[in-house]
Amino acid sequence: MGEVAETACEHCGLAIAAGQAVAASLGGETFTFCCRGCAGAYRIITGAGLGEFYRRRTRPETGVPEGVFEAETGDGYLEKFVRPTANGAEISFLLEGIHCTSCIWLIEHLLARTRGVARAMLNYSSHRLRVSFDPDILPVRELAGVIRSIGYLPRPFSLDAAHSLHERTQRTLLIRFGTAAFLSMQLMGYSLALYAGYFRGMEDSSRTLMQLLSAAVTTPVVFFSGYPFLAGAWRSLQNRRPGMDLLISLGVLAAYCYSLMAVLLGREVYFYTAAMIITLLLLGRLLESSARHRAGAGIDRLLRLSPDMALKIAGGRETPVDCSSLLAGDLVLVRPGDRFPVDGVISRGTTEVDEAVLTGEARPVLKEAGGEVISGALNLTAAVKVRVARAAAESFVARVARLVEDAQNRKAPVQALADRLAAVFVPLVMLLAAGTITYWLFRGQDIGSALLIGVSVLVVACPCALGLATPTAVLVAGGSAAARGILFRGGDVLERSAGINTVAFDKTGTLTAGQPRVVAVEAVGGGEKELLELAARLESSSSHPLAAGILAEARARGIAPGAASAVRVIAGRGLILAAASRRIVGGSRDFLEESGIEIPPLPSTNNTEVHLAVDQTYRGRIILQDRLRDEALIAVRELGRAGLNTIMLTGDNRAAAGEIADRLGIAYIAGMDPQAKTAWVNKRISAGDRVMMVGDGINDGPALAAASVGCAMAGSTDFALDTAELVLTRPNLLKIVEALTLARRAMRIIRQNLFWAFAYNLLALPLAAAGKLAPIYAAGAMAASSVCVLLNSLRLSRVGKDHRRFEAGDD
Amino acid sequence: MTDSIIILIILSIFLGTGAWLIFIWAVKKGEFDDVEGAKYRMLEDDPEASGGEDDDP
Repeated sequence: MGEVAETACEHCGLAIAAGQAVAASLGGETFTFCCRGCAGAYRIITGAGLGEFYRRRTRPETGVPEGVFEAETGDGYLEKFVRPTANGAEISFLLEGIHCTSCIWLIEHLLARTRGVARAMLNYSSHRLRVSFDPDILPVRELAGVIRSIGYLPRPFSLDAAHSLHERTQRTLLIRFGTAAFLSMQLMGYSLALYAGYFRGMEDSSRTLMQLLSAAVTTPVVFFSGYPFLAGAWRSLQNRRPGMDLLISLGVLAAYCYSLMAVLLGREVYFYTAAMIITLLLLGRLLESSARHRAGAGIDRLLRLSPDMALKIAGGRETPVDCSSLLAGDLVLVRPGDRFPVDGVISRGTTEVDEAVLTGEARPVLKEAGGEVISGALNLTAAVKVRVARAAAESFVARVARLVEDAQNRKAPVQALADRLAAVFVPLVMLLAAGTITYWLFRGQDIGSALLIGVSVLVVACPCALGLATPTAVLVAGGSAAARGILFRGGDVLERSAGINTVAFDKTGTLTAGQPRVVAVEAVGGGEKELLELAARLESSSSHPLAAGILAEARARGIAPGAASAVRVIAGRGLILAAASRRIVGGSRDFLEESGIEIPPLPSTNNTEVHLAVDQTYRGRIILQDRLRDEALIAVRELGRAGLNTIMLTGDNRAAAGEIADRLGIAYIAGMDPQAKTAWVNKRISAGDRVMMVGDGINDGPALAAASVGCAMAGSTDFALDTAELVLTRPNLLKIVEALTLARRAMRIIRQNLFWAFAYNLLALPLAAAGKLAPIYAAGAMAASSVCVLLNSLRLSRVGKDHRRFEAGDD
Repeated sequence: MTDSIIILIILSIFLGTGAWLIFIWAVKKGEFDDVEGAKYRMLEDDPEASGGEDDDP
């Protein structure tokens, strides 16, 4: 360690406070850091050969300006969220500003050392912090202060009913499964002894003991662990709609009751079959529900960021009220550092707003009176009064969240397929059992024996591999897809992807590289340079790809874009800069014409045009051309070969879109705004098509949500990534082809699984009907079909890399 | 049947019950609520365990 110069931290880039510098020598060089955490992180990153990260990273993050943490909430506010417990109290926070696990480590350790804190647990995926503390030693306000002091925003939140319900059911399911698994393990030992006894002979007393032990451990499995199935069967009986649950319950109860009778009569027992069916089915459900729950975590987090409380201004006073009580037209005060509680329009004040979570626009956006704000956006600089546009439940974010929730709760149609199979199977099996009983009675058997044989038909007819057929295939396919940079958010997405017949692409940023270059500057009444400077000033605060192109050109010509602060963005259309001296408007031709600006007739080009006007006077246009993605042509061709319709939807003008479309050989519709895209998708879906939408921007969001499958690629806005159900983590269009191939394969495997599940049991049926079925055969058939289904699902994990093409025919 | 088998059976029941109770306790305590974070948590050093600032990797 030596003299440390006044520098920025090598890892986090922040200024190093005097006397705080930590020096570390790595690979012969000495670096300085602001803290040991950063030094450690730097060492890990460079040690893993990822030093490139520091050269690559750009840091456009907004961050919350200093001082906003000081905005204290009223005294009683935090207390409302504290739940008293046996030894102290507990509170849940939703933390903002968490980026990595180091944050989690830091917060947990810091709180663990704070006096008065008993336990602090931060959930990695939901960013929820649960603290048990002693309110007498550490008031809740000070607790929040501790978290704030290290730069995280703690927002108290109470679990809403639906959420805590989900948590409870998940835990109950886990307990049911765990219990079933432990008891089945015990049962396995007794059953092995009984099977050995079946082949090698066994004393009657030993056998009875083993059977009684088996009965003892199976009973809780059937009635406690199996309760969801029994309840489902009861419901389906009441509705007179035989389903999977009924078939399962029938098999399990038959096996259980048969075995109880068999113990008394000194025959072979089926306890193991009954317990195993339930255990495997519960495992299937557990896998399914965890995969499904992971889906909407991003949106969920977003939704929970919008605060529960708002400061309502009524009668000249500010009163804290519940957000759900706000109505359209109410006036609320939003202080800096707070997130907007509702969608609304600023009625008084000017502030900068961070909408990164919603739009991907990393820079703060200036909002003046009349500017629209979206709930969940972060107010950065000044307190503003906001006129509520719609109730919290109707806000943009809430609507999107509802869409996601709906998607999560939709039952996978494959499950419906299994239910449909069961609907045919149940009556069939009942008939078969009845037929068997009649036959044996006719053959002169006593009624007891005939009943036993009939029940054994029921036992063997219930395929326990059925419960594994869908979840295992979904899990393996999901895992192997993730390894190749494809994320299916849930099994139903996999399944819907398999059925896609139309793929609609957004143009900019999806089919094209999204980095347009300026090809011509045509000024009207002024110099080219002047026009470019105007454009650069207007676009300097935008992260739109067109803006990047213009700024790059400006820099290349040696023009420094002046910083503009009062820019209003109209998504997908244009920008307005309303400075004190003049008003600059830039955007599409339509946008300018709508703003009442007269555009002289100009020769149309096949490229994207940005038109500019100052104070209603037309000043000229800048023409940009976008480069196609390298793999776009192959991807479109491959999709076409697989029998899919492809189409390009774009907001660009006809000529620019036409040129791109010609090069790709793809159909196109030009001049579409977000609503038009959504309407188009909806129309196609109601016409019976299954549409996949591929897009990247916020303007694609609604269409992504409306499509059968919304797809977004790495590099898209957070909003698109959150809305999309299929996410490609590498920006490569060929991944779409790969994803669809995989989805089709997965669906084929699921169908095969269902087939195998039933096939083995159908083979064992004649044995049962003939009265020759020993439990060992039933157990054998069950194990064989389960293993078969599992192995079949595992085949999905080794789809070769050369499997780019769709396999001909899909079953 | 020999006594040893009966003893073993009883022993296995006790062991199984013990494991089951631990499992139930863990679920109730919320140990399974965040299965994602655990794999990252292990990558972080304890503050006491971290070495001097100058040691080379």
